[in-house]
Amino acid sequence: MEFKGRVINNGKTEGLAVVLDTPFSFIGDIDPNTGELTMHGNSQAGVSLADKILVFPTGKGGTIAPFIAYQAQKNGKAPRAILCDQAEPITAECAMTIDIPMMDSFSVELTKTIKTGDKIKIDTDKGCIEIVR
Amino acid sequence: MAVGKYGKGIEKAINVLIKFGNTFGAEKLIKITSAHAMPKEPPELLLEFSEGLIGVPVLTTLHPLMSVFSPDKYKEMGIKNDFAQEELPICKKRAEMHQKLGFNRTYSCLPFLAGNIPRPGESISWIGSCAQIFANSYLGARTNRDGTIINLCSAITGRTPYCGLHLDENRYAKLLVKFDGIDFDNVTDSDIGAIGYYIGAIAMNRNVVFDGIPRDYGIDKLKYLMAPLSTSGSVSICHVVGITPEAPDLQTALGGKKPEEVVTVGPREMLATKQEFMGTFKNKVDLVIIGCPHTTIEEIKGIAWLLNGKRIGKNQRLWIGTGEQNYQLAKIMGYANIIEKAGGVISSTCMATIPDSPLPEDVRVIKTNSYKAAHYIESFQKGKVSVIIDDLANCIKSAITGDVEVI
Repeated sequence: MEFKGRVINNGKTEGLAVVLDTPFSFIGDIDPNTGELTMHGNSQAGVSLADKILVFPTGKGGTIAPFIAYQAQKNGKAPRAILCDQAEPITAECAMTIDIPMMDSFSVELTKTIKTGDKIKIDTDKGCIEIVR
Repeated sequence: MAVGKYGKGIEKAINVLIKFGNTFGAEKLIKITSAHAMPKEPPELLLEFSEGLIGVPVLTTLHPLMSVFSPDKYKEMGIKNDFAQEELPICKKRAEMHQKLGFNRTYSCLPFLAGNIPRPGESISWIGSCAQIFANSYLGARTNRDGTIINLCSAITGRTPYCGLHLDENRYAKLLVKFDGIDFDNVTDSDIGAIGYYIGAIAMNRNVVFDGIPRDYGIDKLKYLMAPLSTSGSVSICHVVGITPEAPDLQTALGGKKPEEVVTVGPREMLATKQEFMGTFKNKVDLVIIGCPHTTIEEIKGIAWLLNGKRIGKNQRLWIGTGEQNYQLAKIMGYANIIEKAGGVISSTCMATIPDSPLPEDVRVIKTNSYKAAHYIESFQKGKVSVIIDDLANCIKSAITGDVEVI
């Protein structure tokens, strides 16, 4: 299954998806030292986001997030790519800071289409992602 | 810049701005006249983005450290030594880099108190939700709600993407706030804060206009109105009719259009909001926090007057946040001496203590006059402390007696 979307930051990668159903921020929702999801009350709390394709509806929260994303990457614990239903500027800043592929605005609601554990291929040159099942 | 003529750091920074601008519909980059940056960068990141840079090209001030931890004051504040020993080397490293690159080490969330005063209409890039709403609404300068990397890249290159609040059409108010039965000559700082906190939650990210605030309201009062708007909500601009340069009258603030929504605030709404922060523990007050946003010199004068000849309770702490330049002035004026002799600590750190808050372990009940501080301390401390809001004079009384209820 292939889906076209808007490219926010370029790159080509593949990996396993972690899908969140609520807005995400690099402040408070990820431990930059371990890469674990620390989102309070989320059923996937404790799951590692390191090297994952992180999928969530939209971003939220404070302006210092790009620095936290940078720390996570320096520790080798950052996600490999970010996919959103609708991106907001701070998450875009995070992806650009650590230069990982990021896309949004797909024809389908991505957070309901992709499941945690799905293998995802991303190629921003083609402007699309592929779910490999 | 984009092809490396001015060094690798600038090349990297300008390309982040170009990429960001393309995504969010900026037709070009524009020059900025002022920057206000966050001194909490990972040092490697600052090194990467400033490679080949001699110094920042525009007046750039620095925000507080985004923590109550102060390299100069942590002992008096009762912050653990092992935490301090971990933080000190990185603080020193950052300070050296900032100094070398010409980032002015003002450490204040109100940069205009330290002389960073852009004129109405100037495009700037400021960090900090509070500084941003003040720049847009009090000075009439233009900044987006930039995150830390767009802000850093703007400071380094002197350019920013031409989108969002840099354009006239995105600055008009959508939500109109009117008042009914509020006597503005007899309200306290925490009353004004309650209005801001109440409206922020309704406004979300919409531009606001307040109609009916007295024109003689200065920064000491307006900061309590504006700061909570970007705490309970994410408001970037709030017009105050007769005060905001872009709001000489209501029609101009609304861009000649009808407001999307009209909200009326009276004593009932104010009181209901104040009841959100009444404290849940019935103990004594352990810590009083003033200075979110940072205190002005007039407020410091007022605190010194309240503390003159008195002493803070044996088991109480008083922390006052203000920028470095104001602290120097408070020393010259003798205010700092009175406050410190009474047992208070004046620090240029962030009293909202975000994101990490190394509070002394004995602190269970906090009193503050700031909705912003109350909101963030409660959410980041997750039930470990209880926060009570009261006006400045009562906060100082509680610091002296330790009593929650003061007359």
